[in-house]
Amino acid sequence: MFFLSRQTVRRHRSLYAGSFVALAVGVFLLGLAATATAATVAYDGPAAASITVDLPQADPPQQVRVPLSDADVSGLQTVLSLVAVISGFITIFVIASTFAFAVASRRREVGLLRLIGATPRQVRRMVLGEALVVALAAAITGAVLAQLATPLLLAKASYTELAPVKLEPASPWVPLLIAISAGLVVAMLGARSAARRAAKVAPVDALREAELEPTRIGVVRIGFGLLFLAGSIVLLALIRPGTGEAVIPLSMFTPMLLVIALTLLAPLVVPWIGRLWALPLVAWTRVSGRLARSNVVATPRRSASLAAPILAISAIAGSMVLTLSFAADAAAATIRDTLRAPIVVTAPEHGAAVRERILGTTGIAAADGAIPIDLIRTDGDSAEVETAEGIDLAAATRTRALSPISGDLTNLTGKTVAISKELSGFEGYDVGDEITVTYLDRTADRLRVVAILPTAPGVTASMVLPPELARQHAPEATPSQWFILPAQGSDAGALVTALNERLTGTGASAVPAVEWEEAQGEALRQGNRFGLILLLGPAALYSAIAIANTLLMGSLQRRHEFVTSRLLGATPAQIRRMVLWESSLVGAVALSLGTAITVTVGVLIRRAMTDGMSDVPATVPWTVLLGIAGLCLVLAVGAALAPTAFILKRSHPGAAME
Amino acid sequence: MTSTAPPRPFVVQSESPALLLDGITKTYRSKAGAVDALRGVTYQFTRGSFTAVMGPSGSGKSTLLQCAAGLDQPTKGMVMLGGVELGGRDEVALTKLRREQMGFVFQAYNLLGSLTVYDNVALPLRLTGRRPRREDVYRVLDQVGLEGKAKRRPAELSGGQQQRVAIARALITGPAVFFADEPTGALDSSTSRQVLTLLRQATDRTGQTVVMVTHDPVAAAFADRVLFLSDGLVAGSLDRGDAARIAAAMSELEG
Repeated sequence: MFFLSRQTVRRHRSLYAGSFVALAVGVFLLGLAATATAATVAYDGPAAASITVDLPQADPPQQVRVPLSDADVSGLQTVLSLVAVISGFITIFVIASTFAFAVASRRREVGLLRLIGATPRQVRRMVLGEALVVALAAAITGAVLAQLATPLLLAKASYTELAPVKLEPASPWVPLLIAISAGLVVAMLGARSAARRAAKVAPVDALREAELEPTRIGVVRIGFGLLFLAGSIVLLALIRPGTGEAVIPLSMFTPMLLVIALTLLAPLVVPWIGRLWALPLVAWTRVSGRLARSNVVATPRRSASLAAPILAISAIAGSMVLTLSFAADAAAATIRDTLRAPIVVTAPEHGAAVRERILGTTGIAAADGAIPIDLIRTDGDSAEVETAEGIDLAAATRTRALSPISGDLTNLTGKTVAISKELSGFEGYDVGDEITVTYLDRTADRLRVVAILPTAPGVTASMVLPPELARQHAPEATPSQWFILPAQGSDAGALVTALNERLTGTGASAVPAVEWEEAQGEALRQGNRFGLILLLGPAALYSAIAIANTLLMGSLQRRHEFVTSRLLGATPAQIRRMVLWESSLVGAVALSLGTAITVTVGVLIRRAMTDGMSDVPATVPWTVLLGIAGLCLVLAVGAALAPTAFILKRSHPGAAME
Repeated sequence: MTSTAPPRPFVVQSESPALLLDGITKTYRSKAGAVDALRGVTYQFTRGSFTAVMGPSGSGKSTLLQCAAGLDQPTKGMVMLGGVELGGRDEVALTKLRREQMGFVFQAYNLLGSLTVYDNVALPLRLTGRRPRREDVYRVLDQVGLEGKAKRRPAELSGGQQQRVAIARALITGPAVFFADEPTGALDSSTSRQVLTLLRQATDRTGQTVVMVTHDPVAAAFADRVLFLSDGLVAGSLDRGDAARIAAAMSELEG
């Protein structure tokens, strides 16, 4: 049957062009992620900038070299693996829908094969063979492109926040082989359901004139749809205050499950939402709106596969954008709630003079300058670099909210530590436990946990040490930020001016806390934006291709229908209007489902993150969200209208009788 | 209407018929209610005979062909092909029977556009897992008068030539029964004649059985016997009639 597959693909090039492009782009992204990951793995930081620590509890006990923070490429690795997951997901999705389309449009041909003696199994193998032919060509193309683009990506990624080092391309063979095989597996998974459906085509379909698709959807499909729906509801229920930091990854991956569920159930759901959206259309237009409605409602399977890529990207991108925005809101509110001091001084490294100048300023009640100290926390078989700080309790308890959730801060003396609730939650540390650390001066220590503090990134570090301990192991370190509390009766504004006067020439500067908080929030959003572009950029590009692809194929197949309508007296403008309304309707249906997912996730994540806080502003990035929706609609309508116009221009109504 | 001429003397009557329909009923259920397409058809197709099935539209002739070829299951009754009962067999068994015992030619779109003439003809053999022998393929192509066209694709052939490729494809497996559904429906009269002559030769030279559904009296005149269907029942038959007599019988049936 492979011989037949090869021939059919050659013949139906236009039908498979979409699958080819989709898969080639998918493998390109996977390949790029893989080669770049290989480059980060191959990256060998300078030996001086790393510390070897013992992991006695690992099995077998071993020593690992921990690179210090300024030569760390793990940020890039995390982002790359996320890019690979999202690209892989969307690829399966798109391949499945383009293959389903290709099979549906060849019902008669498959029937003929069955009639002259092909068994259902042979038909299934033929379709899988077609997938393999397309996938092989596409995967190799994608891999070659990835190899060509790797140096560009590495040049762009080097010396950024995510990888503050120079990255060189590593040997491409293993990563590209992984990308190619992943592409092939993904294509086969995507083609499986299409192949199964093709095997169900009856031989008698070769004798039938009309190529009508069966409108009922299978019990298995509904079953899987409900299963995925149930799974996503369970995950959605986990997005609640008690879940802690895991709510962010949850709110990013649950939409993917929901997308699968809704796509499986779409043929049931689409007609209803389609009817709803068609109400104004039918009221406002004379005939085109009515026709568009019946086309969308009467072929639910077709409409569902057209809607699928729009649903996928709008739900995934929407939820991610909203989640990160709400996370930034929550983080800003945490900083605001934790910081009590009205003035913040930011100081450069090695600002030894800053301390004297601040303490010498009159009108200060408390000056809280924590000593930053990096250390390596080892736990069982892992070693992490943590940024800790040594704080002066007398000052810090007045400038920040430091009431422990459990334990007692007054015990923070000697070899002890107070940790954030987040760290305690992730690692399971409790008051009284001991944490093994190695300082950058290569001495190891065991610190007893005396208190668990509310998590407040940006204000209080995740590990807080007694100042003497920090000073002992980081004698050169100076505070990078000071929280200043004015004395009773002294004016904060005047104090800022006074501080800035005294600090001139040191590189340090004082600002009102409100201003500093705003800058922190803005920096957070800036970082999120960078991450979003990295994560969603490829997925968006990919979905754009997919949306255009399915609608283009959908319209190209309707040549006969369009030409017949022309013969019956429809003007080209009427047909174009019908296609315009039809694609808008499909787009609107998909976007309403995408919006439903986004809103659900948004509401849950907001509730989870703002638990126990008051007056948290809700920043909804309207421009971005509406931009995503608008772009989806424009793409859908454009990709449906362009081939329609092309067909109408090229064919005469008389062609219907050929 | 009854048989008006004795059977041809050279038609060999063997012990079991090529195709036997025994009390075939086919009822389609739809929202509008049950529709009887066939209402108890019993008929034997003798080996080596060429039978045309005629009848007004809606008389059940297409359903008869589909049930006889195992493409559709009759609601009641039994179909036996070469002594093998078709009922109660699964899709794979039916497919194997189809590709070994039956050949199909129908109105249009008979061929796979992506394959050459040669590959189209060789396809049934490939589907059985056999490697087609070149001389076999060329022999059947010669037989239908398409020598030299092996490398062409269907789109480069005329309608009549395409039908002849379909016949060659049916011939290559040497099937016991040929099913033809309006094989000349899309052809002009001279190409129709070529196609019908080829079907005629299948019975005369190799003793194969042909069952052809048609509405064209000229086409039906190529058959040994015309079987008339009306309202899902056998309404009569006519042996070795010419086109004029067949047309007269048809209009009687429709009137």
